[in-house]
Amino acid sequence: MILSVAVALPTSPPGGPGLHIPDGFLSTPIAISGWVVTIAVLALAVRMTNRSLDERAVPLMGVMAAFIFAAQMMNFPVAGGTSGHLLGGALAAILLGPWAAIIVMTAVVGLQAVLFQDGGMAVMGVNIFNMGILTAFIGAGLYAVAKPFARSTAPMLVVAFVAAWLSVEASAVATALQLAASDTSPLDVVLPAMVGVHALIGIGEGLITAAAIGFVGATRPDLIPRAATVPEGAHGT
Amino acid sequence: MSLAGVVDRYSERDSPVHRADARAKVPAAFAYILVISATREADWAALGLLAVPVLAVVLASRLGPWFVLRRTFLALPFVLAAVPLVFTRPGETVFTLPLLGWTASDEGIRAVATILGKSWLSVVVAVLLVSATPMVEILRALRWLRLPRILVATIFFTYRYFFVIGEEAQRMLRARDSRSARLPGQRGGGTVLWRARIVGHMAGSLFVRSLERSERVYAAMQARGYRGDHIFLADPPLPAAHLVGASAFVACAVLVQIGVRW
Repeated sequence: MILSVAVALPTSPPGGPGLHIPDGFLSTPIAISGWVVTIAVLALAVRMTNRSLDERAVPLMGVMAAFIFAAQMMNFPVAGGTSGHLLGGALAAILLGPWAAIIVMTAVVGLQAVLFQDGGMAVMGVNIFNMGILTAFIGAGLYAVAKPFARSTAPMLVVAFVAAWLSVEASAVATALQLAASDTSPLDVVLPAMVGVHALIGIGEGLITAAAIGFVGATRPDLIPRAATVPEGAHGT
Repeated sequence: MSLAGVVDRYSERDSPVHRADARAKVPAAFAYILVISATREADWAALGLLAVPVLAVVLASRLGPWFVLRRTFLALPFVLAAVPLVFTRPGETVFTLPLLGWTASDEGIRAVATILGKSWLSVVVAVLLVSATPMVEILRALRWLRLPRILVATIFFTYRYFFVIGEEAQRMLRARDSRSARLPGQRGGGTVLWRARIVGHMAGSLFVRSLERSERVYAAMQARGYRGDHIFLADPPLPAAHLVGASAFVACAVLVQIGVRW
C-alpha cells in the first residue's frame, strides 16, 4: 500500500500493507484459483518474453525488478505524517510492455512475500495477479489504445496518469472482491473502503508514473516504446 | 542505513533446520501454509494442533522464540481488513461500540480470531523458512523445482541488484533531503503536486540509470561468455532424510485437518 508512516521507510520493507494479502485471509479455493490463473498467464509471459527479448531478457528484467523495488522506496510527504510512493505495475508495463512487466512484478511480489512476509506465500498467486498481471494489462492496454490518438507528449502523460490510477484501482477492486468471496470482509464494507482509499493513493501513483514517463521521454526518448515521444503533427502509428 | 540488514532475513545459526536442504524446506513450508488455509472457522483444536509442529521447528531452529515473534509482527497491519467482520456478521451481540452503535457478534469475533490465527501461524512458518535458509538456497530450490529458467534467473538478478539500485535510490533521497533545508516553523517545498513530480523525476532518473546499468551488466556477462543460459554448480544430492523430515512436517498438518473433520 502507499500510505505509510514516512519515518518507517526505508527501514521497513517497501510496500507495506493494503494490497499485499497475507496468508489466512483468503479461502483455499480462492488461493488456488489465483495460482491457476497466475501460472497460466506467467507461462504465456515467459513464452512471449523469451521470443521478443532473447538472451538479454534476464539482466534487463532482473535489474528492472530491482528498479521497481527501489522506486517503491521513494516517498514524498503528503500530509499528517503519511507519504505517497509508487507501486510501479503500470510504470513497468508502459516502459517494458505487458509481458516483461508481468515477470518483473512477479519477481517483486514474490521477493516481498519471501523476504518481508509482505503478502502471503499460499496466496501469492492472487497477489501476483492483483499487483502484477492486472496492473500490467491495464497499464499497457490503455497506453496502447490511446497511442494512435496522441500527437504530442502532454496527452500521453495524461494517459499514463489515468493508466496508473486505473491499475491501482483495479488491484483494489480485485482485492476487495477476493476478500469478500473468501468471507473475510463483507463486500459492502471492504469494496467502498478499498476503492475510496485507493482512489486517493492512485492519484499519487498516477502523478509519479506520469512524471517518470515524462522524465524518461525528455532524457532518453529512445527508451519510450514509441508512445510518449510521437512527434508533433505525426498521425499516430 | 545499509540495505543488507533489511533485505537479507537470514539469521546464521547452526541447527538441524538451518542444515536441512532448501529443496525440502521450500515445498514443505509452502504446503504447510496451504494446509493451514484450509482450517475451518472457529476450529480451535485444529489451529492449536497445527501450531505444535511449527513450535517444534521453532525450538529446533535455535532462532529463539522472541526473535521469531518479533519478525512475525511485521505483517500485522493488514489485520484491519478482517476487523469489520466483527460487526457485520450476524449473531448474538457481545458488545456495542459506544459512539457508532455498531454491535459486535460472537460469530464475528470467532471469524476474525480464526483469520488472525491462521494468518499469524502462516507468517511464523514463512519467517522460519527465510530466517533459516539463505536466499540463494531458496532460489536454487525454485530452480530445482522446475520453475521457468527466465523467471528464476530474473528473481536472482532482482535479489542481486536490489542492493545496488536500492542504495542508488537512497543516495537520491539523501540528496533531495540535503537540498530541502527549511527554516524552523516555515513550510518547505512546494505543493503536493510539485513534490509528486519531483519523486516522479527521481523515479524516471532511477529508471534510466537502472536500464543503463543493465546494459553494462549484459555487456559484462557477454564478455564472460554468457549465451543466454545460466551456468550453476551442479546440485548436490538431496539426502533422503531431509525429504522424509519435510514430508513428516507436512503430513502432521494434513493429518490434523483430516482428524478434526472425522
